[in-house]
Amino acid sequence: MNGKKALLAAGLLGAMLSWGVAWGNSPAPAAVPTATLPVAAVANPATPATAAKINHSTADHSKFKELQKTFVSGPEVTKVCLSCHTEAAKQVQHTKHWTWEYTDPKSGQKLGKKNIINNYCTTTISNEKDCMACHAGYGWKDANFDFKAEENVDCLICHDSTATYRKLPGDAGHPVYQRKEFPHGSGKFVEAVDLAKVAQSVAMPNRSNCGSCHFYGAGGDGTKHGDLDSALKNPGKYLDVHMDAKGLNFTCSTCHVTAGHQVAGSRYEMAAALKGPAHVRGKADAAPASCQSCHGDKAHKENVLHAERLNTHSNKLACQTCHIPEFARDSVGTETVWDWSTATKMGPDGKPLFTKDSAGRRSFDSKKGNFSWDSYLIPEYRWFNGHFSYIAKGDKIDPSKLVEINHAEGTPGDPDSRIWPLKIHRGKQAYDSENNMLLVVHTAGEDDTALWRNYDWQKAIETGMKTAGLPYSGKYGFVSTEMSWPITHMVAPKTDALGCAQCHADKGRLAGVTGVYLPGRDRNRLLDMIGWAVVLLSLLGVLIHGGLRVYLNYKRKG
Amino acid sequence: MLKIIGGILLGVGLTVLVAWKSIGGMMFSEQLSPYSVEETTARIQQNIQAAGNGWSISGLRNPAKPVEQEGGNVLPVLLIEACSTNYSGPILKEDSVRFLSLLMPCKIAVYKKNDGKVYIGILNAGLIGRLFGPLVGDIMEKVVVDQQKFLVMDPTKPAPPLIVPKMGGEGGSGAGAAAGC
Repeated sequence: MNGKKALLAAGLLGAMLSWGVAWGNSPAPAAVPTATLPVAAVANPATPATAAKINHSTADHSKFKELQKTFVSGPEVTKVCLSCHTEAAKQVQHTKHWTWEYTDPKSGQKLGKKNIINNYCTTTISNEKDCMACHAGYGWKDANFDFKAEENVDCLICHDSTATYRKLPGDAGHPVYQRKEFPHGSGKFVEAVDLAKVAQSVAMPNRSNCGSCHFYGAGGDGTKHGDLDSALKNPGKYLDVHMDAKGLNFTCSTCHVTAGHQVAGSRYEMAAALKGPAHVRGKADAAPASCQSCHGDKAHKENVLHAERLNTHSNKLACQTCHIPEFARDSVGTETVWDWSTATKMGPDGKPLFTKDSAGRRSFDSKKGNFSWDSYLIPEYRWFNGHFSYIAKGDKIDPSKLVEINHAEGTPGDPDSRIWPLKIHRGKQAYDSENNMLLVVHTAGEDDTALWRNYDWQKAIETGMKTAGLPYSGKYGFVSTEMSWPITHMVAPKTDALGCAQCHADKGRLAGVTGVYLPGRDRNRLLDMIGWAVVLLSLLGVLIHGGLRVYLNYKRKG
Repeated sequence: MLKIIGGILLGVGLTVLVAWKSIGGMMFSEQLSPYSVEETTARIQQNIQAAGNGWSISGLRNPAKPVEQEGGNVLPVLLIEACSTNYSGPILKEDSVRFLSLLMPCKIAVYKKNDGKVYIGILNAGLIGRLFGPLVGDIMEKVVVDQQKFLVMDPTKPAPPLIVPKMGGEGGSGAGAAAGC
């Protein structure tokens, strides 16, 4: 009998070991070891310390005679750049960084900053001179901008390594040519850019280059995305395990691999459920800016049984859901609400009012309305298949309901959908109360109709809608809106990933997510009854067995 | 007789057990705040400054910061330190209770939990006071009254700016000296 037990135990142990070994050797790969990555993918070539040690570039632009001159404008610099980099402008002109336009292959809608009305500053239409401070080009001030003129491409906004290149609202994408007070009336001045110095020290884009726009979207640090703000210029490990300045030190382009100026990883062309093993970065891939491209879809490997359990979670969850437990994890924070309906209200003295919240972030501006901010935000979770459907300019809305400017599509059971963490930004926006459409408002500008100049909604709407070529009934109101942003940056160290109990609980993180059976949250009455019956019967069995043994023992002893 | 003694012992034991289980919850209390961590903190700071009775803000600590510096993540937590020489003085003069300087300055914690909500945590000064005789008990009763005022949030008032006092050192409460404690 003992021999049989030993044999059975040995057999079970053998089966477990061989299963573990087989699992370990399965094609599911581990993360690509850092050492196998290209140097450029690991080190940040633009960080001063690294740059001082080794210059990876084969060209020292400060030695180029063509650049040793005084430049008076950005386009003048571009012309010189193009004299060597002959194809660069053509490449840039095919990117969204240039066109600010994207055609949704599903709906055929024209999207992108050029076409949509977002939940923040609302629209670029009729406000180009301000908005184009973030355009990779020069001179886009109205609909007549020449998108084919190669000298209008701004090379320096992405390739400046001096951190002195500044473009300000109101200059239609041109850099600061003359010392200028900014913001107007603040007493703070922005120095004129030394274009020759910047041109002579161009480099591959670093975090500050991308961040100069993407960290400051919607008019302020951290305002728009929630997972992108200036804290990522020099982050600690806690904030982003990949960008940790003392660790892996990834730049943006380590993940957002760029070829021919096409930057991978756009919110418009996401894949929410990638499968398969990791692969060498930079190879042709639909979505190289994904977790899976480096880590594969079976990233967990520490403990065989636990890892397998976690890996199967990736059938339902995006990696980000567990590994970005909170976003805006810094004092910068992110804007959560923008209520335009209170814009144009003046202070008690009849003058424009500007107030800040307790953390020093804008809370009210007579030009823009009310704002709410927060830090360390718990994401909201939705099924998401990588595609957002949008309400673009001119689309009809139902003002009796909340207007979703974009909607994360995806359903439970869909193989392309995963539960994703989102930042949901809420607000109130002006809409045409007769035609039921969101309004294009002319906010920025020096003319008499700009909202931020004359605080007159009617004039600003008339100009905005006329510029957009849309009808306006003359009546406006305000409607509640929201806009969703997928959270994918600020990846925490693995020790800070969500634990089981944070979702598998009655009021856990996924309390509002439907379509999936979540043990700990969901109940199946029959299953529960069977479970309890098993427990009770087991207990009964133990008691009967124990009782019989005690009884028989007493009986034997007499 | 044995039964009576046994019953008494059982009663005492149960009482000790209940007290042991609940003492933690009695020493501290927690309440929800409708505001962000920063705004809650700033409003409490404003209330402290307006409370009179010698109250002043002696520090603001961020216990999450060292964790972040070590590469870890914790949800935000701010520790407001406030002191009143009217109350601290008599305790510090009395040798038998000088060890209570360990509890100085008074602390109020403001923190976010995993449910995304912001909470305020305070020490139950009244209970603690009663444990250390009439001198401390009387003082702590007054502290409790003031403490309640600190936590009154008036939504009609705009959000005040966060006060970040100059701290006396990384690990100590040296700023208390400057603040009068």
